[in-house]
Amino acid sequence: MRFEKTWIIVRKEFSEFRRNKYILYSLVLMPIIMAVVLPIVYLVPTASFATPPADHPLELNIHILAETEHIEFNNTTFANMRFVHCDLRDCIAFRCEFQECNLTYVLVRDSNLTSVTAKSSNVLHCNIWTSTIISSNTQGSLFLGQESQSEYFLKILINSLLMFFILIPSIIPTVIASYSFVGEKLNRSLEPLLATPTTDLELLLGKALAIFIPATLVTWLSLVPTIVIVDVVTSPILGYNILPNYVWLVGVFLVAPLVCILSVLFNVIVSAKVSDVRTSQQIGSIVILPIIAFFMIGLAGFITLNLENMALFGLAVLCLDALVFVLATRAFEREKILVNWK
Amino acid sequence: MIETQDLTRRFDKLLAVDRVSLSIRDGEAFAFLGPNGAGKTTTVRMLCCLIAASSGKAFIGGLDISDKKDQVKIRGMIGLLPENPGLYESLGAHRNIEFFAKLYGVPISEREERIRSLLKTLNLWERRNEPVGKFSKGMKQKVAIARALVHHPDYLFLDEPTAALDPESAKTVREFLIELKREGVTLFLNTHNLDEAQRVSDRIGVLKTKLLAVGSPDELASRYFGRTSLVQLSELRPEHVASIRSLPYVQDVRTSNGSILIDLDDPKKRNPEIVSLLVEQGAKIEHVEEVKHGLEDIYLKLMGGS
Repeated sequence: MRFEKTWIIVRKEFSEFRRNKYILYSLVLMPIIMAVVLPIVYLVPTASFATPPADHPLELNIHILAETEHIEFNNTTFANMRFVHCDLRDCIAFRCEFQECNLTYVLVRDSNLTSVTAKSSNVLHCNIWTSTIISSNTQGSLFLGQESQSEYFLKILINSLLMFFILIPSIIPTVIASYSFVGEKLNRSLEPLLATPTTDLELLLGKALAIFIPATLVTWLSLVPTIVIVDVVTSPILGYNILPNYVWLVGVFLVAPLVCILSVLFNVIVSAKVSDVRTSQQIGSIVILPIIAFFMIGLAGFITLNLENMALFGLAVLCLDALVFVLATRAFEREKILVNWK
Repeated sequence: MIETQDLTRRFDKLLAVDRVSLSIRDGEAFAFLGPNGAGKTTTVRMLCCLIAASSGKAFIGGLDISDKKDQVKIRGMIGLLPENPGLYESLGAHRNIEFFAKLYGVPISEREERIRSLLKTLNLWERRNEPVGKFSKGMKQKVAIARALVHHPDYLFLDEPTAALDPESAKTVREFLIELKREGVTLFLNTHNLDEAQRVSDRIGVLKTKLLAVGSPDELASRYFGRTSLVQLSELRPEHVASIRSLPYVQDVRTSNGSILIDLDDPKKRNPEIVSLLVEQGAKIEHVEEVKHGLEDIYLKLMGGS
């Protein structure tokens, strides 16, 4: 293996890419869409309706007149009461305190809620500590000492944006490889190249690296505007800059290059079988399906996009890389290229 | 030297090349003639280590084409001009050739001078930076030739080098090949063009899956047609024909349009004797020559008889 031969091929490929407008479009437009436009479209509407975090509770002027424990209430109106371990249904409560209660179809206003589970209720202008609020209106309330629903939802959205950073290095190779390999087949320029004193592996690596390098660099560079957009949009709600974090760093700097390798090698195999640039791009795009599936499962809440799961995903892609590398080296043999490549 | 021993290649059930054995000296120009599908390109691909032989052996400059280590060395010693120029159309002629010069390991000190020299010889220097996609077929073929020669190969394999060219470009390419032959490059030429094969090559091989014949055009003509003298008389008489037929070295005598066609062993030696005999009989001789059988006759005879 002589790396200088591989690098000569890489540089020649770069010379050709510079003159191919479709490759240039894919290298410029795709990151703009994935790393700038989609994060804005995705986050701004959600962030504008999110509840900001609170450092100090609302001053509610509550004067407790009575306290009750372990009692169920229905269709009752209360004011200035403390409830501990109570269940309230179809009730109205003003300036009350609730500790470890269950509220269903309850209108609560100007109250303190601690470790409460509220379902289908209106919890208005209240202080809420470590509670579970389901399908309820929390207008004017503050979430204290816990993550608000909107914070939680924003974090899921931000994590799902990572999908685009895995998609960029998987889609760009389908475009470049289709021109690099299929274009070379159509031009019939492979035969003189194969007649040079280079090995099959040097040729394969030269062409693969020429695709891998720009696709990965573009992905890494795209991270900068996304970090800026995400932090500018979400820091007022979250109270801190969520990016960069370890999940994203592992995703962008480890998983994304592994996915890129998978896409490049998969497209080598596809290119061996087809003789049309568009067909190559369509079949080559199949590689993005498992990536989308992984992130959709994450978005649906079936798995958490944490560091551990990203590392496991990366490991799975690495195993696929090894398998596809063996298949690609088999497809990229001189004799097969000349005799079998259609 | 290029040497093959029973070189054979099968593609599944199709026998493309069948036990081809030949030997081509260094500096020799050799042409393979044969119809489409005869196995010419397959043979060249085997010799260039692009595809493996199913059986048999071949050596280029003493190196074995089946040995993995030798294959890289062989590819460094040869130049290949495939049937299609196969250029990078978005790149200029200079960049196309430079890329191959680097892959062939042409030293940086010689590279630029070599590229300039080739492009100037082929009248492409002025347009060296234009994308070759804008070039005519002839110009592309010239770039492909320059690419195949940039590393001073000892052996040059050419697959139909003038097939797509206009007569003027084809002439330029042929003259260039003859010049290369003078410089001592061993040429292996696949062609349908009989005239080109005759002009450029020292020896010819006729291939139709099997190697049907090998030799110089004259050798092949005498092997397949014998040798013939033509005598043109101002007045043809039966006694002239009869007296010639009686000569011991004459194999056959025919007449055609007032001329006598005589099949014999050595026209150069026997023609003066025949002239003396006819003069003694009072014949008035207008013209005497040896009839040359062209490559086309040989080719058609071999193809018809195979």
